Amino acid sequence: MKLKRILALAMAAAMALSITACGGGDESTPSGSQPSGSQPSGGGAVTLTVASFNIGGFTDSAAWEPIIEAFNAQNPDVTIEILPVTYQDGDQQLANLIAGGNAPDVVFEGPERIIGNYANEGLLVDLSDLWEGVTDIPESISSVSQLDGTYYMYPLSVAAHCMAINYEAFEAAGALQYIDEETRTWTTDDFVAACEALKAAMDAGTITMAETGIIYCGAQGGDQGTRALVNNLYSDYYVTEDGSSYNANSANNVKALELLQGMVDEGTMGVSTSYAAADELQAFANGTCAMTFCWNYSNYSQYAAQTQFTPFAMAFPSDDGVPELEMAGPYGLCVFDNGDQAKIDAAKEFVKFVCDDQTAGVEAVKTTGFFPAHEGWGDIYEGDETRAPFSLMSEYLGRYYSLTPGWVAQRALWWPMLQAIMGTGADVQTAADDYVAQANAGMAG
Amino acid sequence: MEQNTAAAVKPKRAKKPSQTSGMSRALVRRETISAYCFLAPALVFFVAFVVIPMFICVFYSLFDYSLGGINGFVGLDNYIQLFQDPVFHKGLINTIIIVLVAVPAVTAFSLWVGSAIYRMNAFTRSFFRCVFYLPVVTGSVAITVVWKWILDPYNGILNQLIGTNGYNWLGEGKTALACIILILFTTSIGQPIVLYVAALGNVDNSIIEAAQVDGATKLQVFWKIKWPAIMPTTLYVLVITTINSFQCFALIQLMTRGGPMNATMTIMYQVYDSAYRLYDLGYANAIGVILAIIIAIFSAIQFKVAKTD
Repeated sequence: MKLKRILALAMAAAMALSITACGGGDESTPSGSQPSGSQPSGGGAVTLTVASFNIGGFTDSAAWEPIIEAFNAQNPDVTIEILPVTYQDGDQQLANLIAGGNAPDVVFEGPERIIGNYANEGLLVDLSDLWEGVTDIPESISSVSQLDGTYYMYPLSVAAHCMAINYEAFEAAGALQYIDEETRTWTTDDFVAACEALKAAMDAGTITMAETGIIYCGAQGGDQGTRALVNNLYSDYYVTEDGSSYNANSANNVKALELLQGMVDEGTMGVSTSYAAADELQAFANGTCAMTFCWNYSNYSQYAAQTQFTPFAMAFPSDDGVPELEMAGPYGLCVFDNGDQAKIDAAKEFVKFVCDDQTAGVEAVKTTGFFPAHEGWGDIYEGDETRAPFSLMSEYLGRYYSLTPGWVAQRALWWPMLQAIMGTGADVQTAADDYVAQANAGMAG
Repeated sequence: MEQNTAAAVKPKRAKKPSQTSGMSRALVRRETISAYCFLAPALVFFVAFVVIPMFICVFYSLFDYSLGGINGFVGLDNYIQLFQDPVFHKGLINTIIIVLVAVPAVTAFSLWVGSAIYRMNAFTRSFFRCVFYLPVVTGSVAITVVWKWILDPYNGILNQLIGTNGYNWLGEGKTALACIILILFTTSIGQPIVLYVAALGNVDNSIIEAAQVDGATKLQVFWKIKWPAIMPTTLYVLVITTINSFQCFALIQLMTRGGPMNATMTIMYQVYDSAYRLYDLGYANAIGVILAIIIAIFSAIQFKVAKTD
């Protein structure tokens, strides 16, 4: 009797534990694309697994096919298997593979994961040899492709995160006067005035919308938008100049947060504590709100077809009219150290080919929807009108924060801080101080 | 002498009749071997995928374990950190609220629906079973997409219906957890209803008729005859629903990601968050161990209350 009871309890505990210990790894690896990273290569033939995040057109893994074909024409002994991963569950999928000793050979993503996560954990191969003789990649990109002086990422493309407005709604509300259509910039005062004009038009029934804009803070997805909005309003930075502290509680950032809180209270700006960027983008595409804070060419290509209006890309408003935008990417490739030199060499060859080959590289850059990391490649979108606004935004690129120590942990603190300020009316200085204290504690690891 | 008398007076313990009495030793051995052979496949899977991971989980919880591998033995540090973590406290409270609300609600509602439909004709009974089972077989993603549409602050049908346009059901701390419990409820009742319909259908009708002849009321028939008869089913429903409620994860990941301001944070979601976003695998394992202990305690209470092993 007692033994049975003990057994029954042990079974209940085991059922619970097995969920956490197994980690659901089976679900996340698509069938037929099991990485072969840990298997040593035999003879001259090598099979590489390339984990590709859903960046722009690479959401469809078939986009890799022409690039792989071109690579195989020169390297017939190398077989490339694409493992498509999404931002939704890619971290889980890759963590399971890495922890299980089946890390992919190559990962296509940006410095936040490649340098901040994988290089930091000592999982990557030194790619410094690929950088030898490379002179046309700007310092802003090369500096974030390395850790402690060693290159672990080779970049392909880059862009700037910006915002967008519903052009027709602004026109109907008489708010176009507040934007500089040529430079696509506006001042903070203009931004406030435009939101007031939109609200008045909504109240008068001139335009049918629920909100002027929505400060989304339901999750960390797309948090670069809300970061850039806050930092630009009074021209401050997310991290202090010397990188020693997060900066949300600076006088200018607090002023910006107070301005937004006031706008939310007055109804000239909306807030959603359950929306992430994808929800806000959908609301923008649906015409529920008149602006989005999460825009780039990738989102334009994804949502433009759904819109019944002109999504007009804009820089974030700033008090001096000089915006500083966050970098989208730079997206590039890294090589995992799986202990097989033949695979490592083949993987480096593939990385070099994708990022440096003028034909395949341009094809890959265009698939991401962004701009080449190699400045020497010039304007690869010459004559393409839809790209022009995003090319312009690249001129406003600002500092890159995503390699600041404690970055991953602080991202989980930023949106709850916005929830507290915008959703519950918390004191801005107190909430920002709390955020900075916790984020800085994370810097120490 | 006294002792001898006492021993003589004390009745001899009745020998329990052996289940194998009358069988030869060889037959018993053969049957035992056969039984173990039948058990073996399930046992292998159970050991490989449940018992061993369980020990691995406990083992890793004692280490600083990140994406790059084990960085050193930390003893109980992960557990100490856990008990000082305000997010864990919030998650624990929310998890217990979910269990305390969802388990009785699911059990009572399932029993009520089961009682109402088990006597219906086969077609109607099957129809209701299908209706209630539909959310179980529908994928979590599809369910959450539909609920997000229903609860959307701007275009949601709920706000349109009750005239609360703009109210953010999932974005307000006061209602977010209630919404999660409601959705969990809808996805949890299918299986218990099917089980209750089957269990109630198996209650011996002759006993019920005899009780009715003796003048038992409907309530007496239910409590004195049906309730004891379906007790094993009730216990199973309680245990399974409790475990499912403790491990409520997909709904939270897809709908609120623990927000707003940790209002829907649960222990299970924190396991995921620690492991796959923060890559703190040792800490995630420690949370998993604590979750398992809590579930075992709750299950023990349920076994005790249900007075069955």
